[in-house]
Amino acid sequence: MHVSRAESGGDPVGSRPAGAGPRSWYEASARQRLDLLLDPGSFAEFLAPPDRVVSPHLALFDLPHQFDDGIAVGRGRLGGRDVLVAAQEGRFMGGAFGEVHGAKLTGLVKAARDLASTPVLILFDTGGVRLQEANAGELAIAEIMRAVIEARAAGVPVVGLIGGRAGCYGGGGLIAACCSALVISEQGRIAVSGPEVIETNRGVEEFDSRDRALVWRTMGGKHRRLIGAAGTFVDDAVAAFRAAAIECIGENGAIDAAVLAAEQERLDTRVQRFGTMEDGLDIWAALGIPDPKSVPGMPAETFIPLADQFGVNGHDAR
Amino acid sequence: MAEWQQNRARRDRRIEAGIKLAEGKIVAAGDATRLLEAVIQPGDRVCLEGDNQKQADLLSAALLAADPARLNTLHMVQSGVVLPAHLDLFERGIAKRLDYAYSGPQSARIAAMLFGGKIELGAVHTYLELFARYFIDLTPHVALIAAVSADRDGNLYTGPNTEDTPTVVEATAFKDGIVIAQVGEIVDHVPRVDIPGDRVHFVVDAGRPFFVEPLFTRDPALITETQILTAMLAIKGIYAPYGVRRLNHGIGFSTAAIELLLPTFGERLGLKGKIATHFALNPHPALIPAIEAGWVEQIHSFGSEVGMDGYIRARPDIYFTGSDGSLRSNRAFSQVAGLYACDMFIGSTLQIDLAGNSSTVTTSRVAGFGGAPNMGSDARGRRHPSEPWLKAGADADPVSPAPLRRGRKLVVQIGETFGEKNAPQFVERLDAIELADRLKLDLAPVMIYGDDVTHIVTEEGIANLLLCRSPAEREQAIRGVAGYTDVGLARDRKAVEGLRARGVICRPEDLGIDPLDADRSLLAARSIKDLVHWSGGLYDPPSRFRNW
Repeated sequence: MHVSRAESGGDPVGSRPAGAGPRSWYEASARQRLDLLLDPGSFAEFLAPPDRVVSPHLALFDLPHQFDDGIAVGRGRLGGRDVLVAAQEGRFMGGAFGEVHGAKLTGLVKAARDLASTPVLILFDTGGVRLQEANAGELAIAEIMRAVIEARAAGVPVVGLIGGRAGCYGGGGLIAACCSALVISEQGRIAVSGPEVIETNRGVEEFDSRDRALVWRTMGGKHRRLIGAAGTFVDDAVAAFRAAAIECIGENGAIDAAVLAAEQERLDTRVQRFGTMEDGLDIWAALGIPDPKSVPGMPAETFIPLADQFGVNGHDAR
Repeated sequence: MAEWQQNRARRDRRIEAGIKLAEGKIVAAGDATRLLEAVIQPGDRVCLEGDNQKQADLLSAALLAADPARLNTLHMVQSGVVLPAHLDLFERGIAKRLDYAYSGPQSARIAAMLFGGKIELGAVHTYLELFARYFIDLTPHVALIAAVSADRDGNLYTGPNTEDTPTVVEATAFKDGIVIAQVGEIVDHVPRVDIPGDRVHFVVDAGRPFFVEPLFTRDPALITETQILTAMLAIKGIYAPYGVRRLNHGIGFSTAAIELLLPTFGERLGLKGKIATHFALNPHPALIPAIEAGWVEQIHSFGSEVGMDGYIRARPDIYFTGSDGSLRSNRAFSQVAGLYACDMFIGSTLQIDLAGNSSTVTTSRVAGFGGAPNMGSDARGRRHPSEPWLKAGADADPVSPAPLRRGRKLVVQIGETFGEKNAPQFVERLDAIELADRLKLDLAPVMIYGDDVTHIVTEEGIANLLLCRSPAEREQAIRGVAGYTDVGLARDRKAVEGLRARGVICRPEDLGIDPLDADRSLLAARSIKDLVHWSGGLYDPPSRFRNW
């Protein structure tokens, strides 16, 4: 599946004069994304800013808290259909999961499980667990993963949208892997260990985190789309994410043993095909892409048909 | 009988000692240390080329590997103390005394070594001052320089990052010193001759390019809305009324924001062609949209910038280029251009005190001066008039008869009231003073003296210090734009309102600017990739600035 250029209305990033053209997903805040993603005026927030449900831990570290603990959750409509939605704010502590932040998302997904009919959208923008409340954060990740699987077992599509500044790292990467569908832009990144973590643990020879082109060839949106880790690639425009999300919530998100087996097989095949390769460029060449070096510079409208032709498309899995 | 050619004889003996290791002038990289041990004498003044951008990195490593029993107590006279090896030389005793201009990345370590007595400090200079002293009392005996390529006669191609090389070579070669160049490759014909071969005695084939730091690349993705607001204030409140066309920009994010607002905000104000047309400036990638939109007529550069070569080659109407088509930079000439031919300098700093003195040192760091004090000072020898220079002069001195009144260069400090890591930009007392006490320096390292500063821009507004008539007014004008810093909170509110009424302080609303309009959508480019698109794919950014 892909969203065509006409639907997304998107020019390649930057070819438009500033102030004109579609609104960038990457540039937008969590609340701006919600505003523009959902049907106009349909968002109703749970635990809204006036409720001031904030982290009980940050003050111990002399750190400022934020009125929403870096995540907005609520319900709204998307293409006329009711949805539950959560948006992480990557600009507050890198969108990291703390106790309250995690509990808000856990509650939302559990509600979806109980309703068993309302799709969930998670607008990821996170570096992973917040170090200052790591135990609560790690527990939250586990709870959210369980809730996502339970919701999907109840037939609910859980769709992840990834294209923010912080990417989707750490526990965010684990939760994303549980979703029924992922939509990603070039700016989006999915991984568990981030570039700096890999470099710190395994050395700069293993992974040079300052080589950002390498980071993007390893974790970036285009690579994740090509190897089938994300099903849909979109231009960095809120409208493009909206069109893709509408399609994804219409798909079957249910999970059962057959889907899990297919997912396991997909991952096995991936390791067999690409496991020994050193660089994303090698993988893209192995996929049969004629000029792998040209992929990073490619505008979305060129990349999307290329990915449809050469990339791994694994929709029976996930 | 007097002997008048001792230096020349000494030079010839040095060449003779080195020539055994060379084939013609060419020396293998593996023999670099032996070459230096043969040519350099203990106590020599040595210029190890390197500044805030390019580095003779192979030669600095080779010098560090020398035997301290043979090479010691050198007096290093160099623009930049930037590589760890530059300071390791002092740890090993190979070098003893230091005269330099810039030490950005080593600022903490150099402070510790100065404090610990490991380095005997001559002085911290500006680039231009150090270059000047190369010709008076700090002439190098040996210069270790870096070039892109050489031919077998020693003709050097220094390429886009020519920077300090011509100055260093001029001072060394014409005073019977020895010039040793590391080059990336030996070629039959160099693309252009930047340094004639008769000024070069040895060429070390490094087999790889010299190191260059991409110093002037500011990722538009990191520009904040507060920086955009300060940029809007500067454009509408200073560039426009003074009609500033010839200028230099510092390297901070606020000036990058100005560059990116010219084609949007500036265009809307109808300022195209009226401001920001001629620059003494490195090839900042952030200026690409303004160039493409037809704002900029000409740029002369101190150095080049990583990834800009293709773009520069395609825009020779804008940049200074050589017969090979690539940029020719020259730090000394560009510094002179910034000093004498520009009507404005605008840049950021770390600390400003109540008199307007500014400094980029903190108590534990000595970053050096680089070029900012020359850019950011009034040139007392200037004699040619221009509209902004005369207008600034009239602001400062409305009384003297116009024909006898000096103009003034506009020296603008721009920044947020709370800077990086939320450190206040405004302080009662500069950390530089404490540092000078600790290191027993005669002078506190002040980057720009208060009497040279004409305007301070923060998100709270513009303070025009030219219009202040007493130190007390000046202090209140500074407090009046210092926001919620302690300095700002201690303002005399009535005095500040009086200054505002006189136009000494301008708030955003006084200029018709709504702070809520300061939005990232105003930036002509919001990412490095946007800059690549603006350049038509000609700008090839270093990997560390990419997010694709």
